[in-house]
Amino acid sequence: MRIEISRSGGFAGMTRTWSLEVSPAEAEERWLPLADRAAEAPQGEETRPERDQRDRYVYHIVIGYQEVTLPESRLDEPWKELIERARRGPTG
Amino acid sequence: MHPHCSIVPPHLLAHLAAVDDPRHAVAARAARRALVQLDPLLAGREEAFAAPVPPRTAVGRPLERRISDAGGQEILPGTLVRGEGDAATGDAATDEAYDGLGATDALFRQVYGRASIDGAGLPLAATVHYGELYDNAFWDGERMVFGDGDGDVFGRFTRSLTVISHELTHGFTQYSTNLVYEGQSGALNESLSDVFGVLVEQHHLGQTVDQASWLVGEGVFTDQVQGRALRSLAAPGTAYDDDVLGRDPQPATMSDFVITTSDNGGVHINSGIPNHAFYLTALHLGGYAWERAGRIWFDAAVGGGIQANSGFRLFADVTQEAARARFGQNSEEHEAVRQAWAKVEVTG
Ligand SMILES: [Zn+2]
Repeated sequence: MRIEISRSGGFAGMTRTWSLEVSPAEAEERWLPLADRAAEAPQGEETRPERDQRDRYVYHIVIGYQEVTLPESRLDEPWKELIERARRGPTG
Repeated sequence: MHPHCSIVPPHLLAHLAAVDDPRHAVAARAARRALVQLDPLLAGREEAFAAPVPPRTAVGRPLERRISDAGGQEILPGTLVRGEGDAATGDAATDEAYDGLGATDALFRQVYGRASIDGAGLPLAATVHYGELYDNAFWDGERMVFGDGDGDVFGRFTRSLTVISHELTHGFTQYSTNLVYEGQSGALNESLSDVFGVLVEQHHLGQTVDQASWLVGEGVFTDQVQGRALRSLAAPGTAYDDDVLGRDPQPATMSDFVITTSDNGGVHINSGIPNHAFYLTALHLGGYAWERAGRIWFDAAVGGGIQANSGFRLFADVTQEAARARFGQNSEEHEAVRQAWAKVEVTG
């Protein structure tokens, strides 16, 4: 399954996109539950940067039917791993 | 009293100290005493207690910089590597951050009479070498944080003074208008950082409007990128045009305003419009941009007329009012601001 990651904002305000292929099993087990949880979080809580943070990145991640917007300051370790993998792979 | 033991924040002390109402004389005197005690240079001078403290005076502690090193980890603040008055370390990022904070403080303190970003001498903190190949610089509400760049698109972020002054101005905005970081108010927050960011560099280099580059982030791209800088106040949308990264998306006028959900509603994109209005004002007036155009924008930012959720239109009105208040109705300055906002199509 294809996962698309776009990163906007940052000091430069430049949007970059990366993608990677994961097996359907990996998507079901690891990424979709995480995305579902993030998407269910109350609007304005999880999608906004933490108070007084400026020039940080905003990530928009699309996994199959699910998409989530996550400010950099709220990225947990599994998401960082996913982004790192996508950045190392071929860009799409 | 040790500064860190004070329960009342210095900016409130400065405010209290300036109160000229006899009913609050005791509180004002106590606040003055606390402020004087915060400042080692004034400590013990009895006359300082009696001296009147006009509003927005550069009262408080002198410049104090603290540069820390995160050592390639994403942990803040990292280890303190250079404090105020310490000799250069030889580490480029550390020394650039130290000098950049000094140049930024110089504009606010010497030109506008504001002691540090909060007006009360708050120490200026920065962390360098944050993260591994970290390609960003940001303000976290208390300090500036600089990555070393990925080496592919971005080099060291401290290479450009405008990046340092931009970040520190986010601190100034936090303590003045605190514009909400989303949509038009967010673009104004960004624009204030770009405006004072370039003014710091112009003041530092002694450049006039004509001599200045009006670029933000010149020198942070690697040689592999086709572009001079990240943003241009003189010509938004022209700072870079690269095969891989695409081109600078900034608009200069409301006709090209970008509606987007990314980047907190395009805060780094639509800032091109108020940025260009500032440039046009400065161009109209000539000379040193920080003297008149910069003074008007500074007055607007600290004057209380900007609301946290202000859009471009209100900001345009407040800067026109600030120009009128300082330089007079229909003065050259008032006219320059009025024409600039009309030209970028924010006003009719
Ligand atoms: Zn910024």
